Amino acid sequence: MSAKDMAHHIANYRKIFVYLLIGTALTVTASYMEFNVQNSIAGAVFVGLTIAAIKGYLVAANFMHLNSEKKIIHWILLLTVFFLGLLLFIPLLWDLNLMSHY
Amino acid sequence: MEIPYNVQVREDTGVYNSKLGIWLFLASEVMLFGGLFSAYILLRTGAPVWPPIGEHGSIMHLLKETIPHATFNTVVLIASSVTMVMAWVSLKMKDLGKFRIYLGTTLICALVFLIVKYFEYSHKIHEGFVPSHDTYMALYFTLTGLHGLHIIGGMIVLGYFFGPGIKMWDNEPERFTNRIEIVGLYWHFVDLVWIFLFPILYLLN
Amino acid sequence: MSDSHHEESFWRKYIFSTDHKTIGIQYGITALLFLFFGFSLMMVMRWQLAFPDQAVPVFGGLIQWLAELNGFASIGNLPSDLYNVFGAMHGTIMIFLGVVPLVVGAFGNYVVPLQIGAPDMAFPKLNMTSYWVYFIGGVIMLVSFFLPGGAANSGWTSYPPLSVIATTGQTFWLLGMVFLITSSLLGSINIIVTIIQLRAPGLTWMRLPFFVWAQFVTSFLLVLAFPPLEAAGFFQLMDRVFDTSFFLPSGLVVGGEALDVSGGGSPLLWQHLFWFLAHPEVYVLILPGMGVIAEVIANNTRKPIWGYKSLVYSVVFLGFMSFIVWAHHMFMTGMGQGMSIFFQTTTMIISVPSVIILSCFMLSLWGGSIRFNTPMLFALGWIPMFGIGGLTGLPLGLSTPDIHLHDTYYVIGHFHYVVAPGTIFAIMAGIYYWFPKMTGKMLDETLGKIHFFFSFIFMNGIFWPMLIQGMAGVSRRLADGGESYAHAQGTLHLNEFMSYSAWLLAVAQIPFIINLIRTLLRKKDAEPDPNPWQATTIEWTDTTSPPMGHGNFEKVPTVHRGPYEYSVPGDSSDFTPQTQN
Repeated sequence: MSAKDMAHHIANYRKIFVYLLIGTALTVTASYMEFNVQNSIAGAVFVGLTIAAIKGYLVAANFMHLNSEKKIIHWILLLTVFFLGLLLFIPLLWDLNLMSHY
Repeated sequence: MEIPYNVQVREDTGVYNSKLGIWLFLASEVMLFGGLFSAYILLRTGAPVWPPIGEHGSIMHLLKETIPHATFNTVVLIASSVTMVMAWVSLKMKDLGKFRIYLGTTLICALVFLIVKYFEYSHKIHEGFVPSHDTYMALYFTLTGLHGLHIIGGMIVLGYFFGPGIKMWDNEPERFTNRIEIVGLYWHFVDLVWIFLFPILYLLN
Repeated sequence: MSDSHHEESFWRKYIFSTDHKTIGIQYGITALLFLFFGFSLMMVMRWQLAFPDQAVPVFGGLIQWLAELNGFASIGNLPSDLYNVFGAMHGTIMIFLGVVPLVVGAFGNYVVPLQIGAPDMAFPKLNMTSYWVYFIGGVIMLVSFFLPGGAANSGWTSYPPLSVIATTGQTFWLLGMVFLITSSLLGSINIIVTIIQLRAPGLTWMRLPFFVWAQFVTSFLLVLAFPPLEAAGFFQLMDRVFDTSFFLPSGLVVGGEALDVSGGGSPLLWQHLFWFLAHPEVYVLILPGMGVIAEVIANNTRKPIWGYKSLVYSVVFLGFMSFIVWAHHMFMTGMGQGMSIFFQTTTMIISVPSVIILSCFMLSLWGGSIRFNTPMLFALGWIPMFGIGGLTGLPLGLSTPDIHLHDTYYVIGHFHYVVAPGTIFAIMAGIYYWFPKMTGKMLDETLGKIHFFFSFIFMNGIFWPMLIQGMAGVSRRLADGGESYAHAQGTLHLNEFMSYSAWLLAVAQIPFIINLIRTLLRKKDAEPDPNPWQATTIEWTDTTSPPMGHGNFEKVPTVHRGPYEYSVPGDSSDFTPQTQN
């Protein structure tokens, strides 16, 4: 990697750091605001998780270099995220679909 | 006997062995924390009130008090991620001195994180909010506890590379740089998990 | 490519070796011992089922000693508390300490690097660590037998709330599982990286032996499916040790007293997290075995395996589907219609790739010059056994018949057909097949054939009647074998028959053990034939028997053709090595 590339990378890391700090401030601020939709906390959850997802993406793409990573890594992660989705949501959907609610 | 592609990348995949290995490990960690988060989702949606009210009432007021500490911890961990990647950058630029500074700072940030955690835990326990108090406390201690164990594990490896492991730089600088990249990936992941844990456990109640 | 040979100490060479071949053998020996131990537990259980509450012959004293150590009364018989312990540990040991370490740790470790032309696994030190972590997990499981209350007794499935209020053995089970899961994760990461990165030049994906594909998919299942169980394990440990209520619902009453816990937990949460692993786990059990069968069939029909591409696509699809069928183990938990339809559909779909694989194996026999040696006999015996196992699974995968069959002996019969002859026959085929590569000596054919024939007969003697008992409604996990139930009376007589079959199955393994010992003690030829089966794959054609330590290959092999080029028209011999130009 040339010195110029390095300087570019370092500038990028600094930028991402600032974004992450802003994101953190946003997360905390948002938690004090009212996003309740139909008296449920779903709105706040959505906002909170979206900000977290953006921050997570910034870390993964930049610090973990996923932006420039090879296809094979992307495929492994895609597969993993798919199964993660299953794991997170099937039990929930299950609960909503019960024959009876104890 | 040399294992090929330990340092040089394999042409058709474009990666070296431990890069692939660590990403597979991180994939398994995604599924591990996924299992933990899945439990959180199920238990929370099944609860009439969240956080649940137990013997000592609700954790809500104590939680609100801890938000500044947890926010501070979030900033500390994000900073440690930056210093971690800068440690790798320093090695790429052949600057061992800077590497040690950045790695050392990462370790200090981790230590600070753990110390703040310790105070958080002891304050809650002192007030009677132990894991058995209600399902929120159970999740709080288990999720942050496992995350904390991951921080400790990371610190041990980082400590090794800061100390005795640094000798590899003299003979095999490229291989050492790769190792730092690998451990950095693990470290960023630990940060990433916290980025999700923070709002979920502390803020969205 | 040989290293400058520095003299390795005994410890570095045999105990803490980083050579995949040594580690493979370590896994193999340890796993076979655990398999034998798990089998012994079952033989004692079968005594209780055939002759309830009578003292066990020969070993009655030992059983009584163990029972009393655990705090159970015994006159040399197997009391029901200890029956539950044996049942839970039989399943746990066979799956996690026996079969998986054998098919993945032993066969995977030993054969995969050789078949892809690699000098070793990608991470040799990690490989060594994986073995020793497995070993520690095994020790924890074994030690738990000596605790008051005995080892785990809530089934290998450890359902809460029972498992949470169970005796200390369950905590050891959970700790042991943490070690075993860790070992598994490290091992499977190693295999995946090895297969992706260390294939010899010319060894493209579609030239890989099917055995390697099977190991590749298996390892992905382990990497992605085990962690949720590890999470669940931590939760259960928290429930047991720190009195949390991850799995304990509110208002739970035990022995007439309300349990002093916070409640608010969900027993179903455990079931979801457990079966999220445990379903892919059953494919972990069978897939490597399918890989072995492919190798043995191709080699002993002297023709390429039929439908290589179909096999590869099927095994990948199977791996993927295995993650979305898990709730077919939970049909009876009150799930809604939407969920039920979803999981029945995915379960029916997943039978398709299995059928394709089985069909490819059967079609491979057509027009082949079949050599009926011992590995081939086990492979041929495997086919109908796995077929029965698979077919008997169908009514279980549909929620309506499952109402009648769930938790009965039918289930036990079904899954044992797939894992007992299913995995064991494949393991035996693999052992007889690769033994000459590992030792430079062939196992005796006559003893092998005796081993096969009697094993085949007695496997069916044990498990077929279970299907009948199950359909009559006899529940599983009953220490009295159904004796106290009116609906079971008609099929009770089968218990004795099954028990005798089990003990005779044990006797049928004696020729195998004698064979192993005699062959191992026999002197090796001065220059053993490196390819006695005249096989095409790299482990046979480019290495000595056994392969040289530290590097396997004098020079890195180059691959020019597919893995099963048998009877190539125009060729002078009936097999053409992969590495031949």
